This record gives sequence, C-alpha cells and structure tokens, in this order.
Amino acid sequence: MNKLVNFLRGSVDLEVEGAFPERFLNLCGQRGILFWGVDWPGGQVLHITVTRADARRAEGLGEKARCKVKRLAPRGVPSILDRFRRRYAFVAGLAISLTAVSVLSRYILVIDVSGNESVPTAVILSELWRSGLRPGMYGPSVDERKIANEALLNLPELSWMAINLNGTRAQVEVREGIKAPKLVDKTQLGDITARASGIITRIEAESGQAMVQDGDTVLEGEVVIAGNIYLAPPEYSGYEGKWQQVRAQGRVYARTWRTLTAEIPLETDVKVYSGAEEQRFFLCFFDRRLNIYTNSGISFEKYDKIQETWSLSHGEEWQIPISFGRETVRDYTVTSAAIDTEAARAMLEERLGTQLLQELGEDGTVTSTTCTAAETDGILSVTLVAECHEEIGVFSAWEGQPDGNAQSNTEGNGSIDGTDD
Amino acid sequence: MEKPKKDGILERTAELFDLPGDIVAGMPRVVLTGNREFRMENHKGILAYGSEEIHINGGKMIWKVQGTDLELKAMNANELFIMGRILGIQIE
Repeated sequence: MNKLVNFLRGSVDLEVEGAFPERFLNLCGQRGILFWGVDWPGGQVLHITVTRADARRAEGLGEKARCKVKRLAPRGVPSILDRFRRRYAFVAGLAISLTAVSVLSRYILVIDVSGNESVPTAVILSELWRSGLRPGMYGPSVDERKIANEALLNLPELSWMAINLNGTRAQVEVREGIKAPKLVDKTQLGDITARASGIITRIEAESGQAMVQDGDTVLEGEVVIAGNIYLAPPEYSGYEGKWQQVRAQGRVYARTWRTLTAEIPLETDVKVYSGAEEQRFFLCFFDRRLNIYTNSGISFEKYDKIQETWSLSHGEEWQIPISFGRETVRDYTVTSAAIDTEAARAMLEERLGTQLLQELGEDGTVTSTTCTAAETDGILSVTLVAECHEEIGVFSAWEGQPDGNAQSNTEGNGSIDGTDD
Repeated sequence: MEKPKKDGILERTAELFDLPGDIVAGMPRVVLTGNREFRMENHKGILAYGSEEIHINGGKMIWKVQGTDLELKAMNANELFIMGRILGIQIE
C-alpha cells in the first residue's frame, strides 16, 4: 500500500555527501520531512528517498548540515507526467481524447430493445424516433419517462415500457399486452354452416341442433348446426311444440377435397450481367450519409445496385453508429430464356403445398395429394388435388327471424368464446 | 578506563519519586516488538547508520542497534522506527 501511495505522489532519490551525513538525517526528522530507503554504505555518502513535495526542502537542509545534496532518479506518477510537459502535441491530443471521451460518452450511440416478441423491434425504434429518442441525442437532455409514455400511447400492443440510459447505450425494456379474447355476441343468432363441401367425420354441437351425422355428405353453405330448435311437447299432452332461437355453436369436422392451380410461363426474362460495374464509397454517421465520390450519375441503362456496409461492432448487440459502405453498380441487359420445366413444376408444387397448408390453418391436416401438370401455349399449369381433414363449420347470422314461433333465448348479453368464428 | 556517566538531577528525581523517566527527564522510551521492530521515543538523532548497526543518540547514552537488514523506516524529531532482524541492543 505504501509503495502505491509513494508511486502516486512521487518520490525523489537523493544523494547526500558531507562530513556528517547523519546530521542531514536528523534535520530531516526534526523538520518532519518524510524519508525512507536510507542507504549508508559508509564513508561520507548517504542515499535516501524523500517525497517529491519535500525534495526541495530537503535540498535546503543540505546547506545547514553542510552536505551536498544531489537529486538522483525521480520516481512515480508526477515525474512520468513531467516527461510529457514539453510534448505539446501529445498533451493536446491527450486533452482532446479525454474531452472527446467525456463528452461523447454522454451521447446515445446505441438503442437496445428487449422484451418484445410479436411487436417488431423496428416498429418500436420508429416510434421511439418519433417520440424523440434516437442515436446521436445528448443523453442528459432525454426525458425517458415522457418519451416512454408517448411511445406507449402510439403502440397499443405494448403494456409497459422503460428506458434506461447507461452511458452511450439506451436500454428500452418493453412488455407486450395480452390480447383481449374475441367476444362472441350471443344476442346475434344464427346457424353453423359448412364452409366447404365434404363428408362429415365428427360434429360437436355446443349450442343448437345438429342437422347432420357422421358420414353425411354436406355441400358448401349447408346448415350443419341449426340455431332454430324445435322443442317437441310431451307425447299425448295436447300441447303444441315450440321453437327456440339460439346462437348455434360447435365444431364440425369433415373430409374435404381441395383443388388448387398455379401457372408459370416457360419463358422468362433473365438478367445478363455485362461485367461492367462502378464502385462508390461512403461513410454513414448515425443516419447521415457522406458520399466519398463526386459523380453521382450512373451511365448504365439497367443496373443493379448492391450496397455493403461495415461498422465497428462488438458482437451483434453492440454496434457503433458509424459505418463505412461500398456501393457497387452492375450493368445488365434483359434477355428471354427458357426455364427448366421440371424445376418449374417442382417450384409450383411446393408453392401449392404451402398455399394448401395456409388455407387449412392449424386444425386441418392433409390426408393425400395428387399433382398433375400440363403445358399449354408456353405456360406450365400445375393442379393439386388434396384430400384433407378440417373443421368446416362457420357461423352464419340470420338476417331476419327464422320460420317457426319466435321465442328468443339470448342467454345473456355476451360471453367470451372464440370457437365458432 | 572510561568513567561511568552520572545521572542528572531530573533522572535522580524521577527515580526517587518513582515517576516515569521519559516524561520527567525526557529519557528515551524504547519498544521492541519481537526481534523485528525497534521503536524509540525521545531520541536525539542518528549518529551512524548501516544495515548491520545503527547508532542512536539517546541523550546521555548511545544506543547501538545491531542486526541484519536493518532499515530506518520512519523518523521525526521525537520518534524513530527501525525494522530488520535485530540481534542485539547495546547501550553505552
């Protein structure tokens, strides 16, 4: 510890030469001059180390002790700094660097967004930009709470946002809101009808009367669960039957067959690069681009512009908003070329398969598929016939009152259910 | 043969009245910690210095601290502190 303190405050080795060097030591002790590292090999020469602050006083005491005091090697931080005293460029550079570090470190360079799953980071960053938080801003001038509140108002998908400034980094922590479940209006009465033709495999009527059974064939638009229910009277009671109207609810599963078609011309325009290209370089500082070229015109009629940027980064998370870029402009001409029929067919089949899965949704499954292809007038046409198993029930609201004696049973004003829409 | 030094009046008074000599007569007060540290109050200065022997002026006597790797660690007008391997102390 003492060594560290002495290094920081600086020390000077002194050589004391005289008839009575011990007098010098005693005078130092009396005057409160701190010294250590006494080396007295004998004779009239004594080596001691004193603090840098006391060195001048110690030299003054040498005259009183009738000794010659000579400074030897200075040590410690002050003497190191002393060496740079006349290196003006170095001192200026050091001062500029320290100023730049202390000033620039207060500007926001990076904005990190975390906690979002469905809301894209780019959307949040755009909203923050509009609210006043962007790279290049002076950190202390940022009102984090106000910006977070403003951004939250414009992002209804988020329920909470906090902005923390850590040096040059603004950490934005968000929480997404939970979506409100779909509200089914039970006052809206109607039937469940078939969305597509098929053979019923299972029917689950939660509300209403099932009009079909397993194995029945239904056509598109046919009522499968009726909302208009006939309440038969007890036998031999003499009462008349009554009708009750409800909102039909339930699920209807069926085997269905879907036919999808896609076409592609067998000749297409392709780019042929001539080999001629131009390169330009630029610098990006935050969002401002500085072109390092003078002629911005492009001499090619048709061209591709490829832009590559490089920036100083530490991993993928931390990037300095200063980047260097290269823009390559490549000349090309367009010519017609025949495409490979097999490759085109495979591509269309894959595209149709993807389309089929999208149409079926999460509940539907594909049982079997058959693809056929035909060429007509230079156009390749691929047809996909698929047997599927899917939920085909869809709610159809009544526009007017259904037949029968109307007696509504609304079962309350509404309930939370997302099963039949 | 060297004549033994006589005690001064203050020393004799301190002895007579059983008073602390270092306070009344300014006599050196020495604290030895093991054989590593030698601390002295009321010294009158260093007379000779070396890594094996340090001579200290104790007023009416000379203290000779003998040992190896002796080093004067700190010193002011009243106190001094020596560290090293102390093998003997001689008072003259």
